[in-house]
Amino acid sequence: MAQLKERPKPFLLPDYCKGCGRCISACAKHCISFDKEIDAATGYVPVVIDLEACNACGLCMEACPEPYGLRETPQDVDFELQDPAKLFGSKKPRPEPKAVPDTLIPLPKTEPLVIKGNYASALGALLAGCRHVFGYPITPSTEGAELMAKLLPKLDGTFLQAVSEVATVNHMYGSGGAGYPCMTFTSSPGFSLMLEGVSYMIGAEVPGVFVNVMRGGPGLGNIAPEQSDVKLACRGLGHGNTHAITLMPSTPQEMLDLTMLAFELTFKYRNPVIILGDGYLGQMTGKVNLPSAMIKPGIPTWAVNGDADHRGNLISSIYLSEQDLEQHNIYLNDKYRRMEENESRSESFMTEDAEVLIVAANTPARASKGAVQDLRRQGIKAGLFRPVTVWPFPVKQLVKDLAGVKNLVVVEASNGQLEDEIRLALSKAGVTQLPVMSHVRHFGGMLPQQTEVLAHVKAIMAKEVR
Amino acid sequence: MSVFYDKFERHSQGAGLKGNSTHYCPGCGHGLAHKYLAEAIEELGIQDNTVLVSPVGCSVFAYYYFDVGNTQAAHGRAAAVALGHKLSNPEANVISYQGDGDLASIGLAETVSAAQLGAPITVIFINNAIYGMTGGQMAPTSLMGQSTATSPDGRSMYNGQPMRMAEVIAGLDGPVYVERVALFDAKNRRNAKKAIKKAVQCQVEGRGYAFVEVLAECPTHLKMSPEDTEKWVKECMVPIYPLGVKKDLATESWWKRPAPNFEADHFLHAAGATSEAPVRHCEAFPTHLNPTDISLKLAGSGGDGAQTAAMLIARAAINEGFDATHIPSYGPESRGGTSYADVHVAKDEVLNPASPHPDVLIAFNAPSLAKFGPTVVKGGTIIYDSSIVKDVPPGIDPGVKVVGVPFTEIAVDLGKAVVKNIVALGALQAATGIFPKATLTGAIGQMLKDKCALIPLNEEAFAWGVKAVEELGK
Repeated sequence: MAQLKERPKPFLLPDYCKGCGRCISACAKHCISFDKEIDAATGYVPVVIDLEACNACGLCMEACPEPYGLRETPQDVDFELQDPAKLFGSKKPRPEPKAVPDTLIPLPKTEPLVIKGNYASALGALLAGCRHVFGYPITPSTEGAELMAKLLPKLDGTFLQAVSEVATVNHMYGSGGAGYPCMTFTSSPGFSLMLEGVSYMIGAEVPGVFVNVMRGGPGLGNIAPEQSDVKLACRGLGHGNTHAITLMPSTPQEMLDLTMLAFELTFKYRNPVIILGDGYLGQMTGKVNLPSAMIKPGIPTWAVNGDADHRGNLISSIYLSEQDLEQHNIYLNDKYRRMEENESRSESFMTEDAEVLIVAANTPARASKGAVQDLRRQGIKAGLFRPVTVWPFPVKQLVKDLAGVKNLVVVEASNGQLEDEIRLALSKAGVTQLPVMSHVRHFGGMLPQQTEVLAHVKAIMAKEVR
Repeated sequence: MSVFYDKFERHSQGAGLKGNSTHYCPGCGHGLAHKYLAEAIEELGIQDNTVLVSPVGCSVFAYYYFDVGNTQAAHGRAAAVALGHKLSNPEANVISYQGDGDLASIGLAETVSAAQLGAPITVIFINNAIYGMTGGQMAPTSLMGQSTATSPDGRSMYNGQPMRMAEVIAGLDGPVYVERVALFDAKNRRNAKKAIKKAVQCQVEGRGYAFVEVLAECPTHLKMSPEDTEKWVKECMVPIYPLGVKKDLATESWWKRPAPNFEADHFLHAAGATSEAPVRHCEAFPTHLNPTDISLKLAGSGGDGAQTAAMLIARAAINEGFDATHIPSYGPESRGGTSYADVHVAKDEVLNPASPHPDVLIAFNAPSLAKFGPTVVKGGTIIYDSSIVKDVPPGIDPGVKVVGVPFTEIAVDLGKAVVKNIVALGALQAATGIFPKATLTGAIGQMLKDKCALIPLNEEAFAWGVKAVEELGK
């Protein structure tokens, strides 16, 4: 007959007892009582154990809420030891997290697709290695989610229709935190709801791509195109000192290209990336070429992947001490500065000798491009400056393009949100002598038209001649 | 208990006693729930494959203690974050550890929807009937009459009733296992430990979502001694929150997720991309309509097929190596109201995709012709459905060529009224010569490649549209 092993009796280092007394009532043999004196190190009155009557039932240890409180009496250990780590043996060493690199999967040359902007963006995400998409249906962005719901099962990926946009962004926080490229399609009211989570993602340095196909507001507004989330993306990404690279595509092809770029940037900086499209762009069908390779994503070092290599990692936005949080903010601000230095993008069209410079993004930039050509045919030296990133604003290029410009015309479907970004960027860049500024604006779901831009520029030119 | 860090380095840098003590108050139930969870993770041998999601509330710092992958979530969103982890790495064991304010108030939508989704995650819900971290305010689970910082005269009808979360969750079809346990005596602690382990095991076995509600003590905010708090939980909470198994299904393991696919061919097939070049029929850009950029508008009622026809023109143009865009009107407008599509076909690049002044208008009904007819540029072409529109409205530039073709009559004669848009395309081809016939029929064939049986009918409709215009010319 095998000999029964003797059950261990409890042991306590008084410094790790908070004196709650749960063990006292747990002990049927009345072995445990409060000590007479306060422990000088903790300020609590710990318990004392008289092991005389102890039958090693173990109930006191089960009742102790402290991980290093009541423990089994260690065998062959000097009782004077006061360091629990030494006392209870060393633990599993924390693993050194390893990065699994991305791989490029070459794609054969294919014929151009004829697809909607929203679809192009979805394909861009898939090409960038995204297989995890979360979303809540909202017009006019829904085609993106619908295509993902159709394609992802075929690619053994996941599309989850979330209970809300609030849940969506938090699914992304989990997925991105686990190190996976993830994204969502949304539209203005949904984007508003996601901003809490965006702030957490920025604070915790979690990547993720948000495609916001902007619609008319405020409130429920309507489902027609607007560009009035520029201020949210540039100045209002939730609470705290936040910024995120914000891309504004203007063609279905760019919806694909910039979505792919967004994934690259979101991992490069460990920061969310926003794509602002307008309702027209999402619905617009156009020619879209696929790239020459697809990305199979790896796993970054910092990910909380749920595997052995990354066990020691933490995704969190808490910095309890003021000094730590200030340091974290300084670090984030430095990251924003690097984005400003390296990631400003723009397109200049016929700006070399331009006297009238039109600034526009998204679909209005296409209308403006048409207007520039019309104006040139009529002998007016017009040019177009199109910010591709609205944050960081490509101010260096704008300043170059402003040389010789007498009139700056901002064309946008909002009440001056793009113009505010221009003015702020120029002001920060120390440009004090501004050209005459005017604008063509629409809200409520209409986009400025080529004919309007043309008429506006001709009107201001006529005034100047007089 | 190797699942706890040997030193709590995240707790004030592990300085002094904090390196091995929790931040919880004496007698708090969290410590016990932590301990049972740590034991469960150890006993199941899953430490390396576990992610713990810490909430907002007193257990916000659960990540100080558990030597597993850790994520700290926004208030109430832990279950949503846990799902993000689980769906991304289906092999990970994901545990969402939440308090009553987090789970039963601000995060209720995330809590309930995650439970109903049923994906195997483990939710440990600590119910101590009060907000701890913010300092003793009323919780959704506070008892009637319970005095708190925000119900100083006791919770009344005006503050609503306590939330029985275990029953709410058990009432859903998603979860496989739901139990409510307590910590106030040795027997209940044993049960709690067992239940927490079982809830984690449900996940390890891929059986589904599991939820354990733990009635816990908060001596600090109940302003009682730890011993009295245990008594209070037993005597006051348990009658409102009855202990026991609320749901325990014998669901078998079902959670198997393949690794995402990154094969090139697989992707291209899913995206509908092909390396096969379409046959080109155009010799040059149709400059007779516009030197560089032809602007078209197709307008009718929802159901006339204007959008499909527009799409076909864009596809045909791109097949020929030109650029093209199509913008639909959409939303309520497209349901029975006016449905119009703006199409551009450009030699190099479409600059402006809208068609305020089209070169070509296809009008399927009278209001569309009246509205857009006058916008067509001089030298342009209008093609309208003469079976619907009896009189051409005024306002059209005399320099515009106006062609009436009975789209609907022809389509009805063919037995399918819905092909009237294809009749219109035939008419467009014959009236404008925008592309050779084969370009447009090729695009139709491409669109119907999965519905080959419909191709002959559509080709016939197209041919009749062409013929109708040719007859007019005779």
